[in-house]
Amino acid sequence: MRAFWTILLKELTLFMRSVGLVVAVLFFFLVDVYIVGNDIEIEPKNVSVGYVDYSNGGVLSKKILSHLHAPEFKKPIPFQSHEALSKAIFDKKIVVGLIFDPDFQKRYDAGGATQLNVLLDSTAATQSLLTLNYLQNIVLGFSSPKFPIELKIHKLFNQNSDTKKFMPLAELLSIMTLFGVILSASVFVKEKEQGTWDIMLLTPVDSRIIIFAKTTSQVLILFFLTMLSTGIDLFGIFDLPLNGSFAAYALMTLVFLYSIAGIGLFVAAVSNTIMEVAQWSVFLMMPIIFLSGAWTPIYSMNIYLQYLAYLSPLRYYIEGVESILFRGTPVEDLWLYFAGMTVIGAFLFMVGYRKIGKLF
Amino acid sequence: MRLGAIRAYMLKEFIDLKRSKMIYLVYLLPIMILILFGYGIRLEVTHARTIVIDQDNSKLSIDLAHAFMHSKYFDTKILPITPDEALASMKRAKTDIIIIIPPSFEKNLLKGLKSEIGVFIDASFPLRGRVMQGYVQGVLLNKASEYLPPQKIPLILINQRLLFNQAMRDENAIVPGLIALALLVAPAILAALLIVKEKEYGTIFNFYASPLSKAEFLIAKLTPPFVLHSVNIFIAFFIATYIFDVPFRGSFALFWVASELYVAVAVGIGLLVSIITRTQIAATVLAMLITIIPSFLYSGMLMPISAMEGGSYIEAHLFPVMYYSYILYDTFLIGQGLQSSTIILYLSILALYGTGLILIGSKLLKKELS
Repeated sequence: MRAFWTILLKELTLFMRSVGLVVAVLFFFLVDVYIVGNDIEIEPKNVSVGYVDYSNGGVLSKKILSHLHAPEFKKPIPFQSHEALSKAIFDKKIVVGLIFDPDFQKRYDAGGATQLNVLLDSTAATQSLLTLNYLQNIVLGFSSPKFPIELKIHKLFNQNSDTKKFMPLAELLSIMTLFGVILSASVFVKEKEQGTWDIMLLTPVDSRIIIFAKTTSQVLILFFLTMLSTGIDLFGIFDLPLNGSFAAYALMTLVFLYSIAGIGLFVAAVSNTIMEVAQWSVFLMMPIIFLSGAWTPIYSMNIYLQYLAYLSPLRYYIEGVESILFRGTPVEDLWLYFAGMTVIGAFLFMVGYRKIGKLF
Repeated sequence: MRLGAIRAYMLKEFIDLKRSKMIYLVYLLPIMILILFGYGIRLEVTHARTIVIDQDNSKLSIDLAHAFMHSKYFDTKILPITPDEALASMKRAKTDIIIIIPPSFEKNLLKGLKSEIGVFIDASFPLRGRVMQGYVQGVLLNKASEYLPPQKIPLILINQRLLFNQAMRDENAIVPGLIALALLVAPAILAALLIVKEKEYGTIFNFYASPLSKAEFLIAKLTPPFVLHSVNIFIAFFIATYIFDVPFRGSFALFWVASELYVAVAVGIGLLVSIITRTQIAATVLAMLITIIPSFLYSGMLMPISAMEGGSYIEAHLFPVMYYSYILYDTFLIGQGLQSSTIILYLSILALYGTGLILIGSKLLKKELS
């Protein structure tokens, strides 16, 4: 047991001494999470609108235009003709173009259906879809006092579907995965690269203790960084809710980090230089992230990908964390995530352990 | 300029790339970026797990519930459970949408009274929540308006014309942006590594001591990444058009020229990275950092440039990504080509950008111990 603590302490000290690495991980866990959370937005915001009003300044067209306001839309810009508006859309100066026909108002006043022509640059598919939806809601609002059905929509767990509460979390998880593999692999590969591997083999310490102590040291570092980022970025800056139990969150993080470290062990076994570790990590990280359901819901994926997704430890972690933070799922209902992650984690750790164990 | 020396050095680089297996990385990385992100980033939601609780059980309400059955967007179950049970299922992440049709819904509607339909959406993945909200609104309102009593209600109908991406396919929106990402990240990393590798191993002293001039050294070092990655332009084109079925409406020549210029810009970025870093790992991380995030932000893939304001609008114009992806989206989806003055302007900006970076890089490159 003393050997375990000594190795653990040695690795922690080594980590603290490599100033560049400490700065780099702090940058990614704190600054990068902030940048991504703050800057990447997919919702329609500041969408540029142009319009041509052939209905000669009718009240209705003005009313519709007045509904297109910040933060979703920029102030609508008038155009002289349909052609001028089209050209602006083709030049990507305008995303949404509205054309009011000459009889736009007349037909509405007559109590019938009138038509609003919308030209939409749909290069950004999701934004155009959401913009179109927004427009539909606006015009529906005009007739709604007489429309007999009202939809009461409740978006649970994130009332305003604020992406600022999701992007930083998604980025943190990607960074945890990437650095989880890199750190836990390089703690072994460093020895190979610097030629101290043989010295390590000569020490009278059981190889199992060496492997476990080295891995645990990196898991602890990552755990500390994750908690730091959770505290400062997620809860501090982006004000994420915590509707479930924090202890469950911490425990889940720890289990997740061990399963990622298992992948790190595998990478450590097959790489000889840190450069190879970096390549392997990026190579493995992408499928883990894409099969996790963070970007595309798993139930929307191709059926084979859905089966593959069972193998991504991140899948269980992200659903679990979302449930704890947003959905406020009670602890007893989280067992599925814990079970999934423990099984996958134990499997990955065993594979990695056996692979690297052969080198001892 | 001695061509013989350059040729010999270049040959050494190619052999080196082959031996160190880095040559696989040259083609693997861009292909992986395109395929993984192309399949991975889907903002559209299909098969959302939906529960309809029909408390009315009338013809109309059943019809309404069935409207959700025949759609790829919803996997619908009509269940006789209480709203609380449904909510508990949502809390366990088993359900995404709950629709509650209240009792006497049909009766009220036929009388012209207002009735409410309750919709609950899991927004813990916020964007997904929004997209699902749009779908639900569309289906319910469309279906319900078929049943409106024949009285005159002034309605405004939207006659939409979707330009450039009529089917609203996520692939069309994202894949061209991914090409801009792949063709920037991969050449930049390779160019940086080829030079930094020598620094890290100390073999850069061979160059310091050799009679090779700086220009010759740079030509020999930067040509391999440029040539190897030029092949990726074609690979990317085939992946986009054959695997992802993205339409190509512009001129291939324009696409090709712009892409070559862009690869040159990427190589120039790699050169600058190699000057300020000393180890391969640092060079890789730095090259990725200054290429990946701007590519995502400023390619217009996730957010149109016209929607940016202030700082980010200016930043978008500082990075080469915006100019190239404008041309990319034009050649793939729009097809204005050289008739548009913006494209000619952006093409020349890319050319200037590339030469500028390489000139600055060669000025800063040292041929002695510092």
